[in-house]
Amino acid sequence: MFKSVEEAIKELEKQRYIASKDIATTVYLALRLEKPVLVEGPAGVGKTELAKCIASALNIELIRMQCYEGLDEAKALYEWEYAKQLLYTQILKDKLSEVMGSETTLSGAVDRLSSAEDVFFSEKFLIPRPILKSITKNERTVLLIDEIDKSDSEFEAFLLEVLSDFQVTIPEIGTFKTDVKPFVILTSNSAREMSDALKRRCLHLYIDYPTIELEEKIVSLKVPESGERLIRQVVEAIHRIRQLQLKKEPSISETLDWAKALVLLGYEDLDPKIAVETLNFILKYEKDIELALKHSKDIFLN
Amino acid sequence: MVQRDGQPHINRKLFDFIEVLRDAGIIISADEVIALFNAVPEIDVSDKDIFKQSLKTTLVKDYTDIPVFNRCFDQFFSGRERFFDGMDLSSLSGLRDGVPAETIEDMNDMLDKFLDSLDPAFLMEKSEEEIMRMFLDELPEGSSGGGGGMNIFRSRSGTAGSFQSKGEDGETAEVDIEAMMDLLRNMMNLRLSKRKIGKELKNREDFLLNKFIYQLTPDEIREMREMVNRFGQKLKSRISLRKKRVKRGGIDTKRTFRTNLQYGGVPFKLFYKNKKIDRPQLVVMCDVSRSVNQYSRFMLLLTYSLQSLFSKVRTFAFISNMVEITDLFREMDPERAINSMFTDVNFTYGWGSNYGRCFDQFIENYSDSLTRKTSVLVLGDARNNDNDPGIQSFRKIQERSRNLFWLNPDKKHLWDWNDSIASLYGSCCNEMKEVNNFLDLSEFIDKLFLDI
Repeated sequence: MFKSVEEAIKELEKQRYIASKDIATTVYLALRLEKPVLVEGPAGVGKTELAKCIASALNIELIRMQCYEGLDEAKALYEWEYAKQLLYTQILKDKLSEVMGSETTLSGAVDRLSSAEDVFFSEKFLIPRPILKSITKNERTVLLIDEIDKSDSEFEAFLLEVLSDFQVTIPEIGTFKTDVKPFVILTSNSAREMSDALKRRCLHLYIDYPTIELEEKIVSLKVPESGERLIRQVVEAIHRIRQLQLKKEPSISETLDWAKALVLLGYEDLDPKIAVETLNFILKYEKDIELALKHSKDIFLN
Repeated sequence: MVQRDGQPHINRKLFDFIEVLRDAGIIISADEVIALFNAVPEIDVSDKDIFKQSLKTTLVKDYTDIPVFNRCFDQFFSGRERFFDGMDLSSLSGLRDGVPAETIEDMNDMLDKFLDSLDPAFLMEKSEEEIMRMFLDELPEGSSGGGGGMNIFRSRSGTAGSFQSKGEDGETAEVDIEAMMDLLRNMMNLRLSKRKIGKELKNREDFLLNKFIYQLTPDEIREMREMVNRFGQKLKSRISLRKKRVKRGGIDTKRTFRTNLQYGGVPFKLFYKNKKIDRPQLVVMCDVSRSVNQYSRFMLLLTYSLQSLFSKVRTFAFISNMVEITDLFREMDPERAINSMFTDVNFTYGWGSNYGRCFDQFIENYSDSLTRKTSVLVLGDARNNDNDPGIQSFRKIQERSRNLFWLNPDKKHLWDWNDSIASLYGSCCNEMKEVNNFLDLSEFIDKLFLDI
């Protein structure tokens, strides 16, 4: 548990994650208030990374669930282990007929069987999926629900029970509750909007591209072999490129790739010629590159 | 870390601020308010960044609202320095030295309390001067209010004589009074205007959204850019939510049988056919001649922010030649594409719009873009410059598409006026609609999806 916003920043930095004050404030509050966080922002600004680093900073387990279209509760919450149930009934056939043996009427047999049916719908035959796992585990975990916008809205609906009460109801057994609430992080690329009910239960964090200072810090942390001069030039160029009207803006991961590539190529300086030649590291559309070339004088003017 | 003193004061401020946000059109439910008040004791409210982020993270759940929040926050919590706006600082220097800082704070608090005690509707009615006079009248007689500064005020509302006896140097004190009055007036104005921040933002937005598109000034267009994005985003999520609801279809027999073979053919598990979402295809034809250029620009922008909702969008622009511009959008940011459209492509042939010629060309060259799933949108004022209307081709477009809409920026009573042949074209469309502000435009698109 972080004691303050400043400590959150420091602890995350130890995990090689540079958090802005905004990010740290939300994380700190979410931990304090035991509320889930919905993280939105453009691709490649480190949304998933944030969850991972929080887990390692707090030294607790990370349970990750990747969302996709068609994800249902069998994959997210729990599933009955059908094959195991079937196998057990086969193996226990003798035992079953022993139990049933003394019954002469059909209804008597059914009664007896139903009194024992709980056996087959017990926790032994339950496969816990990520969400149930994070709740039944009696220690704090970070539950990362990644790219929630890719899932269907029905899935969102049963997430609600988890997010507000931190409990899961299984009709055959009952309700699983937890005393130690997991720290839930949901990430979204805003492919579609989440329902109001879900948003109301979460704190909201929008991670945008970092400021120049922050991005310089990130690059020097992740690509320490690049010199201070190169880092500054790269980051400044990237920020100028983001100002252009691009189809796809370069994200932090592209900045890092670029810096790494330049180091590998043995450059200590980003001179305009090299920059232009390596533009394809950061821009993924032909027209975007064209546009950047057109403005190259302004962008790479150091 | 935790700071609990001064809590009631902060709470009142926060409630005021929440009201401002609501006025500005941000939806804030009770859950969010509770979260905020749980959060406030946990943080160091004197750190402005942390304070701002705490408010943002608990109250604003839609990232498209963030710019609005930022604007409200910056105005609402702008510093006390604005008390001194438009004042002659030299007349204040004496006052600042003479009056302890807490007096200013006290005054501010008293003003707050006074304004809170009044009915908001009453505040709206009265002029600032009237409220000011009421405040001075209500000032408590006792000395609990604070130091010298308060005495000055009491003396002001009382007789000048009693004041004279208090001041050591009559002349400087006289200046102080004027300065203090100005200061107080500024405080009052600031306080009153703060309550209106949200409403003003909202009004401005409504004003822009309702303004005739071709009357927008370049500055206003720049201002609207972010708004158009926000609007498009909201429209998009609303429509996609609606689409999702009708997704499930009947039982997928093939898959159900295959999977359940392992259970001896007993259908333990059922599989449903996911109903294919019939995403509409869209063909947009824009008149980009000077008279409607601005209008087409907006329409194109909005269409492209909604692109993912359609399975296929093909865009054409024309003045007197029909040109396909779909490719421009594929590789470029929409705004840049629109700009480059005007420099790269040559639509002009002869003079002015020629609808008939363009529809003929469309049928001749691009009729492959029309299927029974296609909705066709034509944007233009139907002013054909007395050319051949090409009604045959236009009918063909209608026959070969699912539906055909015409958005006309002209006022309805101007249709058929002069060289406009709106009714002629209108009779061949599913609907010709007068759409000349942004709000109507987005409403139209919203409806388009209901029909499909």
